[in-house]
This record gives sequence, C-alpha cells and structure tokens, in this order.
Amino acid sequence: MKKWIKSLGIVTMAVAFAAAGVSEAGAASSLSGKIVVNGSSALLPLTLQAASEFKKLNPKVKISASAAGSVTGPQSVRKGIADIGACDWDASTDVPGFKKFEGQVANPVAVIPFAAVVNKNVKVESLTNKQLADIFSGKITNWKDVGGSDADIVVVNRAFGSGTRVNFQMKALNGTEFMSKGDNYKEVKSSGDMKTAVDTTPNAIGYLDLVYVTGSIKALKINDVAPTEENVINGKYKVWGYGYYMTKGEPTGATKAFIEYVQSAKFQNGSLKKLKFIPLSAMKK
Amino acid sequence: MSESTSASNRTLAVSGQPGNGIRIGNGRMLDRKNRLRIYNRSFRIVCVASAVFVCLILLSILFFMFRTGILTFRSVPASTFFFSTNWDPENESYGAFLFIFGTVALTALTLAISVPISLFVAVFLSEAAPRWLSNALRPVLDLLVGIPSVVYGFLGLTILIPLLRDITGRQLTDGLLAAAIVLSIMVLPTISRISDDAISAVPAKFKDASYALGATRFQTVFRVMLPSARSGILYGIILGMARAIGETMAVVMVVGNTPQLADSLFKPTSVLTSNIVMQIPNVPFDSTWNYALYLMGFLLLVISLLMIVVIRVLQKKGVKA
Repeated sequence: MKKWIKSLGIVTMAVAFAAAGVSEAGAASSLSGKIVVNGSSALLPLTLQAASEFKKLNPKVKISASAAGSVTGPQSVRKGIADIGACDWDASTDVPGFKKFEGQVANPVAVIPFAAVVNKNVKVESLTNKQLADIFSGKITNWKDVGGSDADIVVVNRAFGSGTRVNFQMKALNGTEFMSKGDNYKEVKSSGDMKTAVDTTPNAIGYLDLVYVTGSIKALKINDVAPTEENVINGKYKVWGYGYYMTKGEPTGATKAFIEYVQSAKFQNGSLKKLKFIPLSAMKK
Repeated sequence: MSESTSASNRTLAVSGQPGNGIRIGNGRMLDRKNRLRIYNRSFRIVCVASAVFVCLILLSILFFMFRTGILTFRSVPASTFFFSTNWDPENESYGAFLFIFGTVALTALTLAISVPISLFVAVFLSEAAPRWLSNALRPVLDLLVGIPSVVYGFLGLTILIPLLRDITGRQLTDGLLAAAIVLSIMVLPTISRISDDAISAVPAKFKDASYALGATRFQTVFRVMLPSARSGILYGIILGMARAIGETMAVVMVVGNTPQLADSLFKPTSVLTSNIVMQIPNVPFDSTWNYALYLMGFLLLVISLLMIVVIRVLQKKGVKA
C-alpha cells in the first residue's frame, strides 16, 4: 500500500515537472508558423527527429515532412509547395543530370558518407577511382581484371535522379557516365533494395549510404582507404557529400529558426550523431 | 392502375389494418404517397449520381493522363515513342517500345503459365476432388488472393531469383521469366477460384446427358463442362490479366529495371509499370520526361481497356456459338 502511494507521488511529481517544462517552453517561444519539408528520403529520419524536438520547444510551429526523390525537394520549393527542400546535393549548382535551381540557397545540415559495396563472395578488398569508374561504365566486366577471381561483374545501380547516385558519380567515379544496358546490369529504386540486391547476388557491386552497410554486405576500400567515419572526418576518405535544406532565397522566420536548430551543436552532436550522420562541425578544418 | 391501388388501400383501411389510413384519414394518405414518391425519386437520383460519378472518375483519369501525356509529342515524334527501343531520357531519347513490348510479353507469358494450371486446379476442385477436400481448398485459395503483391515480390527476390540462378548458372536472372513466374503465382488463385465457381454452376443435367450419351469423364469435362463454363472462365482470366498488367511492386523487384529490349527470358528489362514507379519520383515536373511517363500510364490504361473490350466481344461470340 505504501509502495502505491509512493509511486503515485512520483507520477504526480513527474507530471507536474513535465507540465512546468511545457509551459516554460511555451512561454519562451513566441515563434509560430508552418513549415513544409519535402525531398530526399535519405534525410527524412533526420528531419522527422529534428521536427519533433523543435515542436517541443516551439509548440506554435507546425512542421510537416514527407519524402520522395532528392530532386523533388528543390522542385517543390520552386513551385512554392514546400518551404524546405531536402536534397542530397547542392541544388544551387549544376550536377550531372540536373541543372541548377536559380535563386535557391543551399543550407548544409549533415555530412553523408557513401561506400562502394560488394557481395561477400567477392575477393577484392580495394579499388581505385579509375577501376570503379571503369566497372560502373561497363569497361571492366570481369573481376579478374581488378585482382579478383574469374567471374563476371554484376553491376547494380540506383535509378537516375537518386541523390546517392549523383554523389557517388561525382565523388567516386570522377563524373564518369554510368552504363545503361547489358545482361549483368540492373537498377533498383531505393537504398534498401540496393542492399538486398547486392547481398543476395554473387559477384555484385553497388553503392550505399554508409549507414546502410551492415550485416553480410562488404564495403570496399577506395584507394586503400576504408570508408569509416574517422577517415571521412580526417579527410582521407573522399566519397561523402553534404545533405542540404534548399530554401527560396535566404530562409526567414520559423524556417530560419528550424534550420538553425538542425545546425545547432546540440542537435548535431546529439540526435544527428545517433542517426549515424556526421556532424557538420566535424568537417570544418 | 392508380384506381386499383387506391381501391386496395381503401380495402385495407376498411378491414382495419394498422396504418395511417384509419387514424388520420385520406388527406394524410396523399402525404404518404408524396413522401413515397420523394423517397423513390431521391433514391433514383442517388443511384444515377453514383453511376455517373464512377463514369466521371474514369473519364477524368483518362482525360488527365491523356492531356499531360500528349504533351510528349511536342518534342518527340510519335514514331520514335512507339517504335524506338532507345530509352535514354538524360540524352533526349524517348523510345518506349521496349516497355510496351515488355508489358505485352510479360502478360502473355504470365497467362501462358497460369491459365492452364488454373484450369486444372478448377477442374480438380469442381469435378475430381472429394467434397471435403474442395471445401478445405477453396478458403485456402481465397486467402491466397488476399496476399499483398509486395510479399510475392519479396519472395521472388529472395527465393525465386537465387533458385533460377542455380538452375541456369547465370549471374543475373532478373527478367521476364522471373516476373512472369511471380505474376503467375499471384493470379493463379484468382483465375482458378472464378473458373471453379463457373464450372460448378454448370447445370448437372448437362453432365448427366453427356454421361448418358456414353462420354468418358475426360470428354465430359473438356467437351461439355469447360465450354459451358466458358464465359465465367473468361471473366476469371480478365481479372487475372488486369492484375498482371497493372501489377507494379512485385514486378519491379524481379524484372531488373534496365531499359533494354528483352530478347531473352533472363535479360534484365523493364515494363510500363515498373519504369513509371522507378522514375516518377525523380523527374523534373515540367519536362518531356515527365510527360512521357504520363503517356506511358495512359497507354497502360488504354491497353487494359482494349483487352477488356476484346474479351467482352469474344465472350459474346462464344455465347452465340
């Protein structure tokens, strides 16, 4: 019986504290408005986490986030459907396959490392940028040409427009065009599908966000540098990109506050790290 | 007519039936008539409106897809779109023939595999199996119809494709055959259940007459039962085919999604549905590429509508003959 009363007391106190906390936060923030975020699905977990934390601090701000492909982000911003367009590349500049979006500002929010991955039966451990480019453009078609066993290479690629594809093409393949036909070539529509395809197809090669590299799939070294968070931070591993929030001109009001919150040290070193992105501050030299 | 009605009403009132007639009198009787008329009218309006609504939805979908899709031809000649096999939108090549071919070939292959098997299943269920067994199997087939297509696709990706790889010794077995097998498994329960119902509904006297004429069981099934159930079986095939043509998730997981003409059963290729779902999230809004995808969606609609019309016509001919 005493236990009951005790726990009841604790609950009451907790509720009181929580209520106090909420009212305090409510009083502290006079910010209000509505923020619509659309775009890259790679950045969605980050956006959702940030949105739920930000809404606790600023209860009057409404944030709705959804995701499709990366290019939908800057497009929605241009059409005025979204305030923030999440995009895996800097859409205010030209990238392979996409023209720049005039008048948009790219606000970096996270660092995303990418890795070339192979099926576990592949004996090769490391490839150079040149070898990768030759494999993905279809010039090298057998593993024995890059030091592996005598077997045809199965190339798995993301569909055109994928942010991962744009980044991998720019940073790992030096901008070389991908192959688009062949008996041993297929395309998949998401990172999850990429992982399954490479994992279940012997002699397959593909590429992924580093966070997806788990289990039996093998990440290749590029130029003998392993794709680890540490190597990205110390600058040895080059295949990474920023995730951006695109806005129409400089952000203002609630949108500005939200982007600043995502860029803040508290969020970057806390939740963002937990979601396996690399904080922006780690990259500043 | 109205005279007799009022007469019968009066009889009812006289004979003391409980109703408004006795207590409230003739004035209210008219009210009741009016009320009924209003009810009838409004019910009729609701029904007609619902029917019109459905037609409007279909027409507006067709219209919208057509209006957006037709913009493709501002920059791509129709002959290129329909007959070229070079789909490379990054470099302004919009040849959709390989997708159209892929869809038609995939559907044909699917039906070639699934229709014979379904018919055997249906004949077994309705003619050969003992009653307890068919009573147990029918709910199982009904359950199979309800399995989401993504489950079939996932099993195809993780079980069927490695299996095909072991059998053929190829590196990559994504392609028409893998997709057709997955789709066949998907549409099999639909076709066999409906055919089963159709065969079971054939009057027993047909069968009795056939046996009385000295026909064997085989002859009875193939010369009497199946032809009599033809329209029901065709209906099952239509439904199966519609599901096969429009299926996206299961196909996209096993077809390979490479824009090249499938000249072999194991070549990674792409069909209309899988190409649309692969590319639509990533294309710029007001681009020829986007319009071309809409046009492909419109084609998909037209193909399935045409097939349904063709089969309806066949069905009518079958009934006449």
